[in-house]
Amino acid sequence: MPISTHKTLRSLGASALLGLGLAVSLPSQALPIDECIAPADPGGGWDFTCRSVGKLMRELELVDGSVQVTNMPGGVGAVAFSNVAGKRADDSNLMVATSTVGVTQIAQGRYPGGADTMRWLAMLGTDVGVILVDDESPYETLDQLLEAIVDDPASVAMAGSSGAGGWDHIRALRLAKAAGLPGNQIGALRWVQFDGGGPAVTQMMGGHVDAVSTDLGEIAGFIESGDVRVLAVLSEEPLPEPFEDLPTAVSQGYDVTGYNWRGFYTGGEVSDEDYATMVDTLKTLYESDEWKDVAAQNGLVPLWRGGEEFNDFVRESIDDVEAISREIGVIQ
Amino acid sequence: MEILDFLAHGFAVALQPEHLLLALIGCTIGTLIGALPGLGPVNGVALLIPLAFNFGLAPTAALILLVSVYYGCMYGGRISSIVLNIPGDEPAMMTTLDGYPMARAGRGGEALGLSAVASFVGATVATIGLTLFAPLLVQVAIRFGPAEYFALFVLAFATIGGVTSGSFTKSFIAACLGLLLGTVGIDPVSSVARYTFGWYELYDGIDYIVALVGLFAVSECLLFLERDRDKATASLRIGSAIPGMRRSLACASTIGRGSVIGFISGVLPGAGASLGSFLSYVLEKRWWGAKGKFGEGDPRGVAAPEAGNNAAAGGALIPMLSLGIPGSGTTAILLALLLSMNITPGPLLFEQQPDMVWGLVAALFIGNVMLLVLNIPLVGLFAKVLQAPSWFLMPVVTLVAFVGIYSLNNSPFDLYMMLAFGVLGYVLRKLDIPTVPVVLGLLLGGQMEFNLRRAMSISSGDWSILWSSGISIGIYLFAVTLLIAGLVYALLISKRLK
Amino acid sequence: MSAEALSDHAALGDRIAGAVLAALALGAWWHAGSFVTGFMQPVGPGVFPRLVSVPLGLLALYLIVRPGLNHRWPGAAALCRQLGVLLLLGAYAAFLEPWGFVPSTLVATVVLMRLFGARWRQALPYGVLLGLSLYVLFEFALGIPLPDMPGLSV
Repeated sequence: MPISTHKTLRSLGASALLGLGLAVSLPSQALPIDECIAPADPGGGWDFTCRSVGKLMRELELVDGSVQVTNMPGGVGAVAFSNVAGKRADDSNLMVATSTVGVTQIAQGRYPGGADTMRWLAMLGTDVGVILVDDESPYETLDQLLEAIVDDPASVAMAGSSGAGGWDHIRALRLAKAAGLPGNQIGALRWVQFDGGGPAVTQMMGGHVDAVSTDLGEIAGFIESGDVRVLAVLSEEPLPEPFEDLPTAVSQGYDVTGYNWRGFYTGGEVSDEDYATMVDTLKTLYESDEWKDVAAQNGLVPLWRGGEEFNDFVRESIDDVEAISREIGVIQ
Repeated sequence: MEILDFLAHGFAVALQPEHLLLALIGCTIGTLIGALPGLGPVNGVALLIPLAFNFGLAPTAALILLVSVYYGCMYGGRISSIVLNIPGDEPAMMTTLDGYPMARAGRGGEALGLSAVASFVGATVATIGLTLFAPLLVQVAIRFGPAEYFALFVLAFATIGGVTSGSFTKSFIAACLGLLLGTVGIDPVSSVARYTFGWYELYDGIDYIVALVGLFAVSECLLFLERDRDKATASLRIGSAIPGMRRSLACASTIGRGSVIGFISGVLPGAGASLGSFLSYVLEKRWWGAKGKFGEGDPRGVAAPEAGNNAAAGGALIPMLSLGIPGSGTTAILLALLLSMNITPGPLLFEQQPDMVWGLVAALFIGNVMLLVLNIPLVGLFAKVLQAPSWFLMPVVTLVAFVGIYSLNNSPFDLYMMLAFGVLGYVLRKLDIPTVPVVLGLLLGGQMEFNLRRAMSISSGDWSILWSSGISIGIYLFAVTLLIAGLVYALLISKRLK
Repeated sequence: MSAEALSDHAALGDRIAGAVLAALALGAWWHAGSFVTGFMQPVGPGVFPRLVSVPLGLLALYLIVRPGLNHRWPGAAALCRQLGVLLLLGAYAAFLEPWGFVPSTLVATVVLMRLFGARWRQALPYGVLLGLSLYVLFEFALGIPLPDMPGLSV
């Protein structure tokens, strides 16, 4: 079998290097990443992450051949997670796309394992949350929407692309809490899950839901066409062009931010050397102008966290989300 | 006219040389598959879907290829209906009534030529109708919320009797079975594993392409082993297709009437191509009364159902593309095709993906032209394929399906699953339970469930939201009307058979 | 065989199917009770399967009471051939990866042609031809990697 022979040779080589005490990391060409698992159907954010990064890796010649994208949908990434943990924990040719959405699932105990099961490679950019309403909606400002929610939580139906308790929902609930919605009223605020930000916005335009909480990148087209009114973006600072005029929640007096970063993990038994090489490869990719272009075209803000820094960041995020989920009542 | 621009653009896309080549290849392969006894458009396209994925074609190119295969199969089915009296699919049944007697009289080529022209005209009428009427539906589209979508799915299943010609009870049983099989896997809303019994391979749900190939191709192979294996194929003089082309001028009015009737019955969700060809034939027979020789080889008896069948197939694209409701077995396969390319038909498809929609319409039209051109010289050759020994043809069909399914995921599990569905399909067909509703349930069940759950999220668990808007009440009333009409139709048919 | 005997036989097939489907519906209903409803979901994961299993169960019971038409079941010889094909294809699926594509396919095509009624002198050459053309078609023309024969790979 070609793959296993290859692997044996490589691990032999790696242990020989270790034995010699060579502390240098291998050149990136020596250990090419050749597969990216998108734990979703084609077309979504994770699929996009895999495809655009895989394509760039080939174009920048960071890998030998091409990077194969495998779609492995199911359980918001749980299927891919358990597959990698069970069968491919030491495969250093493999990376898996993930994001805040996946980490939220881990924090809420919905994956078959915790953050320690995997090695977290890097994040390459981040999308930012938005709260929007139809352009003919009675809610002109974030204040008006949140006031209505606090007055009568049952009067507003919100929608997004995550399930109840998922990342889109949590971001909306944090705003509602910041506006003073008591914890025991949270269940009264209705939440509807759609297949993505686009369908959610379309349904809002048809008057079936009142407001949408999702990522900017998914619905940027609707903002440009003027069909929707953005009440708040959930970033610390105002966004770069062309979205510089959108008001942040912070500037309106609600200290809530909600990013959705895009990044990768690999199996938990990948050696330190291979791990370092993979992080280096991603870092080179991140520093290229091509990535900046791809990111900008898709409403992502390029942002780098790699290696140990990213590892720590993921753990912190998980603790954060777990605390919020507990507070809101998603998990007991 | 914005629509004409889109349509022109669609034709520009479809007329690119490589797309024309794909259309040619598709029509040829399709005609060959369709000409094999027992393999109709449903099985034919099902067989080729895995192959098309493996070509790595762009969505539009893959669509053009498969649509050409679809039309090729439809036409190939005429060859086996007319020459051998074996219809490839249900709508082709009406064609055998006069087509086979014509072939027996040595006028097979004429019947085939006539059928090609009538199909072409029918499809053209449908294309024009599609261009005129589909955008009207789009205007109400945005008013469809989760409750209205749920009503639409109820409509689709209430009218499922029209998709197949079997008993109502059995059609509904098949649909329920499909819906139930569709819930297998991890529930995307709550991440709960449903009916997986700890099998990791089932977490992702049942792949409907695996189910499709199993239910249609594998079960066909099993049926073949007991039905046709020892039957010798009779050789007949086919003759040239040219006189049929000329004959069609004489049948112009018949073809026109058949096209319009077919189109209207195709647009009604759930009525489908079977009803289109049936109505066209019956009404044409009435029209001529004693002056016609229907049932004894009257050319009009070939022209009417062929025009009706193809117009209905085109008309059925309207509910399929704009509402996501397939009106016939073959549109169900096209729906599967679109879904597997990540294109979700629905009220907003025309607005969001005009390129795709009009490219598809153009592809259908070009497929028809291609068939017309292809069939004049090749009718005799295609008819010869029927005389190839089945011990060679059937293993080819089986193994292409087998390797195609394996290469989807490189998973032997998919192959076992396909065999299991093959046995299921065989038993269902023996019991006269139609298999198309099973696939429909598998295809549509997920969206039906999620729209129900979305509607309930909006109403905080109040079930009355499902019938609280004018649109949904209208859809339910329409469903009840069609259900009753279908029952009456079935009753009339069974009376006629006695 | 008289027409009456045939229809009795047909009714039996539908009644057995009805009983199996009714049992399936009951099992689906019962198993749906174990699906946990998540946070803030008015309709949980068990509701839809139950909604479907009710009409399935009722229609299955109706099928037991009022069975319809069935097709004739195959005779022993045809049944053996069908089982043979299923076993062969099952074995093919099982041996595809351990044996590699070419050897398992060659065996499968030749035996399949025999089961479809070819003589040995027809099945052997055409089976080999079909197996090799499939390999060429998928591996080279379509560029799909198929499992290699063990020992032959680098």
